[in-house]
Amino acid sequence: MEDGARERATDAAIVFENLARSFGEIEAVKDVTLTIPRGQICGYLGPNGAGKTTTVKMATGMLEPTAGRAIVEGFDIVQEPLEAKRVIGVVPETGALYTTLTPNEYLALVGRLYHIDRDETEAKAHTFLELFGIEDAADRLMTTFSRGMKQKVLISAALLPNPSVLFLDEPLSGLDANTALVLKELLRDLASQGRTIFYCSHILEVVEKVCDRVVILVRGEVIADGRVEELKDMTHQGSLEDVFSELTSSEDLAQIVRAFSRSVTGDGERSA
Amino acid sequence: MTTGADSTRKGRRATAVDWEQFRALLVASVRLDLRSTRMQRGRAAKFPPVAAAFATYLVMGTLLALAVMSTEDIFVFSLFTLSAAMFMTALLVIMEYSSVVVHPDDFDILGHRPISSKTYYWAKIANLGLYVAATAFALSIPAAIVAGVRYPPGAALTAVYLLVALAACQATSALVVLIYSVAIRVFNYEKFTRAITYVHTLSTLVIVFGYVLLPRVLAKDVMLISVERGAWVYAMAPAWFAGAVELAAGEAGRQTLVLAGAAVASAAALIWAAMNTISLDYSRRISALATASAKAVEEAGRRRSLGRLGLPLCRTDEERAGFELMRSYMTRDRKLRARIYPAFGLPLAVYIYGIITDGLHDPFVPQAVSGGFPAHQLLGFYSVFITLFFATAIAQTDQWEASWVFFAAPVRSRAGIVTGARKLIIWRYLLPFFVFLFILLAFAMPPAKAAMYVLLNLLLALTAFALLSMTSPHMPLSQSLEKAKQARQIGLIMLLGMSMAALTAILELMKQVPQAGLVVYPALVVLALGAELLLRRRLDRRLAGEEFPG
Repeated sequence: MEDGARERATDAAIVFENLARSFGEIEAVKDVTLTIPRGQICGYLGPNGAGKTTTVKMATGMLEPTAGRAIVEGFDIVQEPLEAKRVIGVVPETGALYTTLTPNEYLALVGRLYHIDRDETEAKAHTFLELFGIEDAADRLMTTFSRGMKQKVLISAALLPNPSVLFLDEPLSGLDANTALVLKELLRDLASQGRTIFYCSHILEVVEKVCDRVVILVRGEVIADGRVEELKDMTHQGSLEDVFSELTSSEDLAQIVRAFSRSVTGDGERSA
Repeated sequence: MTTGADSTRKGRRATAVDWEQFRALLVASVRLDLRSTRMQRGRAAKFPPVAAAFATYLVMGTLLALAVMSTEDIFVFSLFTLSAAMFMTALLVIMEYSSVVVHPDDFDILGHRPISSKTYYWAKIANLGLYVAATAFALSIPAAIVAGVRYPPGAALTAVYLLVALAACQATSALVVLIYSVAIRVFNYEKFTRAITYVHTLSTLVIVFGYVLLPRVLAKDVMLISVERGAWVYAMAPAWFAGAVELAAGEAGRQTLVLAGAAVASAAALIWAAMNTISLDYSRRISALATASAKAVEEAGRRRSLGRLGLPLCRTDEERAGFELMRSYMTRDRKLRARIYPAFGLPLAVYIYGIITDGLHDPFVPQAVSGGFPAHQLLGFYSVFITLFFATAIAQTDQWEASWVFFAAPVRSRAGIVTGARKLIIWRYLLPFFVFLFILLAFAMPPAKAAMYVLLNLLLALTAFALLSMTSPHMPLSQSLEKAKQARQIGLIMLLGMSMAALTAILELMKQVPQAGLVVYPALVVLALGAELLLRRRLDRRLAGEEFPG
């Protein structure tokens, strides 16, 4: 590891240096530079196709950057992938699981991949599944699970290795209101213990409540970065939702809604 | 500061196998193999395709062993049975590469975990080894028992035969893995999936020529269960392994020793090479293989829009929807094409071989029966072979969850959607294939006779397509891909194809009675239409009550 990265690792958990990724002619992520200190919950927002998931994939070693680098806890994800991956937990947007395993079997697999003691894995798995209210389904194949149940298993798997950095891509997807509430509190608690959380979401109310800092990405570029209050002041808006709309939408939302409504009901076609 | 020693240590860690992770991944893979993803009445189906595939192989192995046990020569017996086992193994690994070696889900689930590519790759190879061993066992245990009973030195030969068969099948699968590993290195991501489609087809051709046809060619008589042992045995991989069995049976001639030595050396070399052909960024490449760039997909869509010309064949909106859906998938989903195109390899190989060796005669002339090419005996077999690939492929995709739309939409007839998808297959694949076959055969026989022969095959194919579709009566692209599902179906094709030999009676009738065609062709048209009607009724009944499988 280079000196610079090691030094940054002392206070920065995640560092993106001019991170970029292209797919052919499409530049999905352009020159993203961020430093996220340890213990911070950083909301990463953007419209569909802005490059959020691509950033997470690069930061977690699932996609190689075309330029720049991502450093997690001092480890360059491309140069030292195993070291970096040992300290991260990921809840992917895809929700991918081996559904023909049971939650207990899946968590046991995850535990062994991180060399966690078998008893410790079993105890943690039991606790997580109980807290999420799916302990009765712990030995059932996940083929029968709802999206929310699968999401609970994914979150449990991400937390199992006790990671110091968490990458969460739409973690509330499919979760019921109570579980979402538990997760939000859990994230705050983990952050207070020094864990760093990189939180991608479209649910702006949650981001506003949970995140210490918000980064907004549009067409692969960071267009805003700051605390929620700072962004509100900067844009003279009252809520993160309004801030987001102000910064990311170039069209009149009311006009879009009217056009949609006419299209759904067919009024536009009839009148035409 | 990174020191040289640090780099070396990190390099070693990155290329070393983590045995704890290896064991965990292997155990999980075996569990996944033994469980079905299919749902039956809200629960996972208890009988996985793997078990059904092994049962099919066991039946095939038994039939094969019984068919060639009349030969006095253990070498010939072993050559035929091992050829079949190696052929099936190669076909299995080629056809199911996406589930037995490369699994796109693995990357999403494991890509962000601290697993070295080598650990992952070895776990996958070990899983493949177990799978191939189980398959080889099911295919070869009947032949091993027959060998022990029929040939000296008796029971000990059973054990030796089984070991040789396992080694032969492992070497075969290692060869296929090597071909893929090289292809991954040679081609870029975009070209790889396209190349693999053709590799699949080409491999089928090579395997058919190499393992099935060549021994028969050299024997000059397809029905004769004996071979003239010339220098060709050194070029035939199954002959090497047959030599090893022969050596165990007490034959220690020079040729036998050389063949047995070649068997041991080739098995060791291929397995070693497969285990060590490690692409360090293998897992990352896998993810890239799962997707094609939007640009490439758009280009594919533009290039192949001729399929739309068949749209007028569809009578209802549902049929048109099914037709368009299948057209899009067949155009853009390379994995789907890679599963289907090899179906053409076997029949084309056989007919091309017939033309090259000048052995393909007019099948409607009585004296052609004694000719050296089995076209007259194989009537119907290849029609079934091809159509079953399509009948099963229509229902399967790894994007099966998208099929909820069929169950949510207020369609008047779900069967119509399936019919539309089937019409696309007939229009875009079966008809062009038979036109191509006609052109091919016109080089070997009068065009009128070629047309009659092709029409006969086409009518049988349409009948078979309808009947076989009844065994997979699901909405298009609504079933998940499962390991061994396709292998089991290939086994069924082989068994079903054997029974189609009875259809040669049609040709015999047409040879004996020149006017029989006036009855046979209309009868086959009625048969095809009747099968279509039966299918339509079954689909109406079956699909009306079908629920979304997710």
